[in-house]
Amino acid sequence: MAIKTRNFNEARQQASTNIELIWWVFMRVSGVLLVFLVLGHIYRNNIVISNTSIDYDYVATRFSQPLVKVYDLVMLVLALLHGTNGLRYVIDDYVHHDGWRNFIKFALYFVVAVLIATGTMLLFSFPFDKVGG
Amino acid sequence: MYRGREGQWAFYLHRITGVAILLYLLIHVGELTAAMFGAKYSNAILHFFHQPLFQLGLLAMIGAVLYHALNGLRILIMDFTSWGTRVQNKLWYGVLVLFALLYIPTIIKILPEIFGGGGH
Repeated sequence: MAIKTRNFNEARQQASTNIELIWWVFMRVSGVLLVFLVLGHIYRNNIVISNTSIDYDYVATRFSQPLVKVYDLVMLVLALLHGTNGLRYVIDDYVHHDGWRNFIKFALYFVVAVLIATGTMLLFSFPFDKVGG
Repeated sequence: MYRGREGQWAFYLHRITGVAILLYLLIHVGELTAAMFGAKYSNAILHFFHQPLFQLGLLAMIGAVLYHALNGLRILIMDFTSWGTRVQNKLWYGVLVLFALLYIPTIIKILPEIFGGGGH
């Protein structure tokens, strides 16, 4: 079960398993990193430039830069894990039928695993430096 | 614990924005993955999402991320300080003020671009 508490010592007492406590810590650590990563990402692509000017050349040029690759990979993995674990708490709270709950969770895990895999391939296997401007 | 008061609103908004952001993220990663199939398909999909309806959705999504980030920091203050929980309702009003200070200029910058035909 998700931990519902307001500090680390209470969380440690309430945690049903060690893994549940690790997720509690992960949500806070990834959350604070994502504040900077995601707001920086939004600022870069919506405030510095107009979002409607984004086309393939812009995307390919960005994805060919090593720093962008690392930044985006960290953001992708942290955001998807943070979001998946958050939705797991929500599903646990509202879906009471065991079969449906498990089905929805595994569908979610499958989709997220595919997105982490394809997102990583997109950043590191695709030769954008050869096609980008 | 704080049923029906500020904390309850903060909690529900955090959940709703969180779920919305994850759903958007699934689309967003998929949309960019189309770049693997070349300029033609990638541009078609990017341009499709440049329609005003989707751009308004994106502006709403920026608001969702901003609230979720600021309220997330409020949760961290409550978790890791001795005084945070006692003033959680005041912290939430702080979140709303900061949200307005950051989001209103964002709307002023982006909204004219959506209808002004800026970009391409």
